Amino acid sequence: MSVDSVGFRGWSERLTSPWLSSWSIARTGLLLVLRRKLFWILLGLALLNFLFMFALIYLKAQLSAQNPAIERFVDRILTSVTGTGDSYLNFMFLQGTVTMLMLAFAGEVLVGSDFQQGGLTFYLSRRISRRHYALGKLLGIGMLVSLTTTIPAVILFIEYGAMTDSLTYLRENWRILLGILGYGAIMATVLSLVLFALAAWLEKTVPLVMAWAALFVLLPVLGRILSRVQDDEDWLLIMLWRNLRLLGSWCFGSVDAGEETELIGWAASIVLLVCAASVAAIIPRLRAIRVVQ
Amino acid sequence: MASLFQLENLTHYYGQHRALDDVNLDIAPGTIGLVGQNGAGKSTLMQILLGLNRPTQGFARLFGQDVQQTGVELRGRVGFMPERSALIPGLHGLEYVALAGELSGMPRREAMRRGHETLSYLGLEEARYRKLEQYSVGMQQRLKLAATLVHDPDLLLLDEPTAGLDPDGRNKMLSLIRGLASRPDKSLVLSSHLLGDIERVCETTIILDAGRVIGVGPMDDLRSSRPSCYTLSWKGEANDFLDGLREVGVQLESMDQTSVQAKLPEGKTTQLFFALAHRHSISLTALEPEEENLEAVYHRLIGRQDDMNAPGNRPTMSVGQEAAS
Repeated sequence: MSVDSVGFRGWSERLTSPWLSSWSIARTGLLLVLRRKLFWILLGLALLNFLFMFALIYLKAQLSAQNPAIERFVDRILTSVTGTGDSYLNFMFLQGTVTMLMLAFAGEVLVGSDFQQGGLTFYLSRRISRRHYALGKLLGIGMLVSLTTTIPAVILFIEYGAMTDSLTYLRENWRILLGILGYGAIMATVLSLVLFALAAWLEKTVPLVMAWAALFVLLPVLGRILSRVQDDEDWLLIMLWRNLRLLGSWCFGSVDAGEETELIGWAASIVLLVCAASVAAIIPRLRAIRVVQ
Repeated sequence: MASLFQLENLTHYYGQHRALDDVNLDIAPGTIGLVGQNGAGKSTLMQILLGLNRPTQGFARLFGQDVQQTGVELRGRVGFMPERSALIPGLHGLEYVALAGELSGMPRREAMRRGHETLSYLGLEEARYRKLEQYSVGMQQRLKLAATLVHDPDLLLLDEPTAGLDPDGRNKMLSLIRGLASRPDKSLVLSSHLLGDIERVCETTIILDAGRVIGVGPMDDLRSSRPSCYTLSWKGEANDFLDGLREVGVQLESMDQTSVQAKLPEGKTTQLFFALAHRHSISLTALEPEEENLEAVYHRLIGRQDDMNAPGNRPTMSVGQEAAS
C-alpha cells in the first residue's frame, strides 16, 4: 500500500471469490427489509405464534414434571405440541400466512427497486456476474423465509428436547430435524424463485401484492371451488402452498404409501414446473438490463 | 508501452441497428476522453469494455486480456461510474461504498475501512451515515465516484460524471478526477457530452459518430490538424485591409475594431496578410495561430464525416481507422 501524491491511499490486496459477493448481496437485502417498520410488525406477528408455541412446550414440560400422569391428558388437549413431526409441520405451515404477507411487501425492497432505481447497474458493473447477483437475491429471500419458518421450528425442536428427556428425544427424533430443514429448504427455494420472478417483472409493491394474492389466495379458492363442482380432488393441486405442505410431509416421513405417494409425485411435478417457469421469467429480465445506458 | 485496450474489427448490432461499425483502436494507458452524440456508440463501447456485452464481430482486449473470457475478473480492475442514479435506497452512504468494495472483491472489514477513507477523501465524511435518498445531486455524484474508487481500480470508466452538477460542483468534480487520473499506473476513460470536461481532463480523445471512430489521438494532434486559422490584430483604420482579405478568399469571423479571426484559403500562406497590410498601410500588431478547442475539432470532424457520407463520397476508411493503423 502506498500513499500517493493526491492523498488517496492505494489498495492492492488479494481479492475474494465473486461467490462471496452473493452473501454480501443477501445480507444487504435482509438489512434493507429489516429497516422498514412494517416488517418488524409482520415479524412480530410471526413471532407471536412462535412465542405461543414456545410457552406451551414450557407449560407442558412443567405440568408433566410436576405430575407425570397428567402428560397424556395434556397431549390430548394441546395437540399442537406433541413433539411429533406433524406438530412442526403444522407450525411451519401456519407460519406461512405471515411469511406470505411479509414476502409480498418485501418484494419491491429486495428485488423490484433494483430494476426500478438502477440498483442493478450498481451490482452488475462490479466484479460479479448475473449468476452471482441472482444467487445473492435468492439467498436474501430464502433467509427471510427461514427467519419465520425454519429457524423458529428448529428452536422449538431443541426446546422440546431440552424441556423433556433432552438427549433421548433429540436422538430418537433426528428425522424430525431433517424434516424441518427439508421443508424449510423447499419453501425457501420455491418462494424465493417465485418472488424474484414476480418482483423482477412487476417491480412495485401494489401489483406485486395483487399477483401474490392471486397466487396464494385466489388460486386456492378457485381450486376448492373446482374440486367441489367437479367432485375431483385433483383440482386442489393448483394450490401451491398445499403442494409445498405435501412435500413437507414427505420430508417429515409422514406419507402413507399408495395414493398419497402418487399425490406427492404430482405436487412435486407442479412445484418443479413453477420453479422452472420462474427461472425462465428471471433470465430474460436479467439479460435485458443494460448496465450502461 | 502495453495497451490499455485494443479493439479489433469490433462491430456490434442491436437487432438491425449497427451500434459499432468495424472499430479498430489500440489505446495506451492514460486519460482518454470518449466523445460523441447520443447513439454514437459510446455506451456500447463501454459495455463491451466492461465485458457485459458480447460484440457481434471482432475482439476487445482490456489490459491485454479478452474481455469476453475474463469479464468478471477484469471488472475487479475497473471502476465504473454510471450516468444513471444506480443507488440503493435505504442504505447509508458508508454501507453503499463498502458494499461496492465487497462486490469488487474486498474483504468486508477492509471494505468498511476503505469506505470511511474514500468518503473522507471525497469530502463526504459528514454525510456517511445519511441515507442515500437524502443526498443532493452533487453528493450523489461524489458518492458514486467513491463507490467507483473504493477498491482502487487500475481503470476508471466514468460515464457523464458531471451530469446535473452546478458549475462549482462541476469544477470540483473535474479537479478530483484529474487528480485521480494523474496517479501513476492508473488510467481513465471519460465519456461526456461536455467537451470542455474532456478537454480539461484527458490527454487522448476518441471521437465517435454513428458507431465509427472519426477521430482519435492526443488532443494536441487533433487540434493541429485544423486548417490555417489565425487571429490578426492591428492598429488604425482597417476597412480596406479587411475588404482586401475578403477579395482574396480569406474567411473572416469574430471581428471587432482591432482584431479578427481569419481562415486562409488553401494554398495561401501568412505572407498574404503581410502583403495586404503593407498595401493598405496597416501595421499588424499580432498574428497568432488560432488554438482550436475540442468542440471545434469535433464539429469539424463531424462535418467532414457528413460530407464523406454524402452519396458518391462514401469513405473507404474512417479517420479513426487510419489513426489506429
